[in-house]
Amino acid sequence: MRLGEPSSLQAVINVTPLVDVVLVLLIIFMVMAPQLSKGPDVTLPDTAKPRDQGDERSRILVTIDEAGGLWIDDQSFPPERFEEGLRAAAGDDPDPKVVIRGDARLRLGQVRQAMLAIEQAGFHGVGLIAKRIGTETKGDRGHAAQQ
Amino acid sequence: MQLNSDVSGSDLHSEINVTPLVDVVLVLLIIFMVVVPLLLQGYDANIARTSANPVPTQAEESQLILSIVPTACRILEPPEGEGLPADCRVTLADREIPAADLPARVAELLGGRPAEKRVLFLAADNRLNYEGVLRIVDLAKSNIDDLTIEFITTD
Repeated sequence: MRLGEPSSLQAVINVTPLVDVVLVLLIIFMVMAPQLSKGPDVTLPDTAKPRDQGDERSRILVTIDEAGGLWIDDQSFPPERFEEGLRAAAGDDPDPKVVIRGDARLRLGQVRQAMLAIEQAGFHGVGLIAKRIGTETKGDRGHAAQQ
Repeated sequence: MQLNSDVSGSDLHSEINVTPLVDVVLVLLIIFMVVVPLLLQGYDANIARTSANPVPTQAEESQLILSIVPTACRILEPPEGEGLPADCRVTLADREIPAADLPARVAELLGGRPAEKRVLFLAADNRLNYEGVLRIVDLAKSNIDDLTIEFITTD
C-alpha cells in the first residue's frame, strides 16, 4: 500500500484505494450475478453431460415451476394465454429458440404438455435445460432443504 | 502486489513487474464469472404433433424407439443420488436392456447412419419423473452427440 521513492517528490495520484474500491464492487457484482438470471427459482434436473444451449438472453425462457405453473421470462401465464404470450415474446425474431427450465420434481407429462403448447404456437424444437451434477444454480438451496 | 515496498527508490530493481499481469488476469476472471451463470445447458428435443412439423421421414423398420415404463424403471419420484436406480431397465428397439447399456446400444444401432437420420424416438410414460427421464436421455446421447430426440405420445 505504500509508494516507494521516499527521496523524490511524488506528483502521482495514489490509485491504490481506487483500485481496491473497484475490485470490491466487482466482487459484489460477481456474487450477485447468478441471482440476476431470469425467471422464478426452480431446481433444475441434474444430469451427467448436458450440452451447451447458448446464452439465456438470446432465448425465450419458459419456466415450469414445481407446481406446474408456466412462466415466460419473469411473467406467469395461465395455460390458456400461454401460446399468446409465447408469440408476443418472440416478437420479430425470425428464428426464435425456446428453452424450458423445468423443475426436477415435475412429472414428464407436465413438461410434455408445455412442449406441445410451444409446438402449437409455431416453434419447432425446444431445449430442455438441465445442469451438470455438482454445479449450483439459483434456487438450489430450496431443493437441498427439501431432501 | 507491491514488490518494492521495502526497497528504497534509489536501488536498482530486477523484479518483474507483475501488476499488469495481475490486472489482466483479474479482468479475465471477472468476465468469465459474469458470463458463466447466463449460459444454459441442456438437451435439444422435438415433439412432432402438428402437420407443419412432421416427424422426420423414416421407414418404419428403421425407427429406433426407446420406451420407458415405470414398472421396469422406477423413476416415478426424483431419482436419489446422481444416477438412475441400479435395476432400471428400458426397452430399445423391442429389447429390454439395462439402462446402463444404453450408450453402447444406441451407438451400435445409430452410429452407422448419416447425421440427419440419427433419430431416437422416446416413448416415455407421462407419470415418470422429469429428472429421471432426462438422465436416460443423457445416457442415450452420451456416445452420439448429434442425436435427435423426438418425444412421441404413448397414450
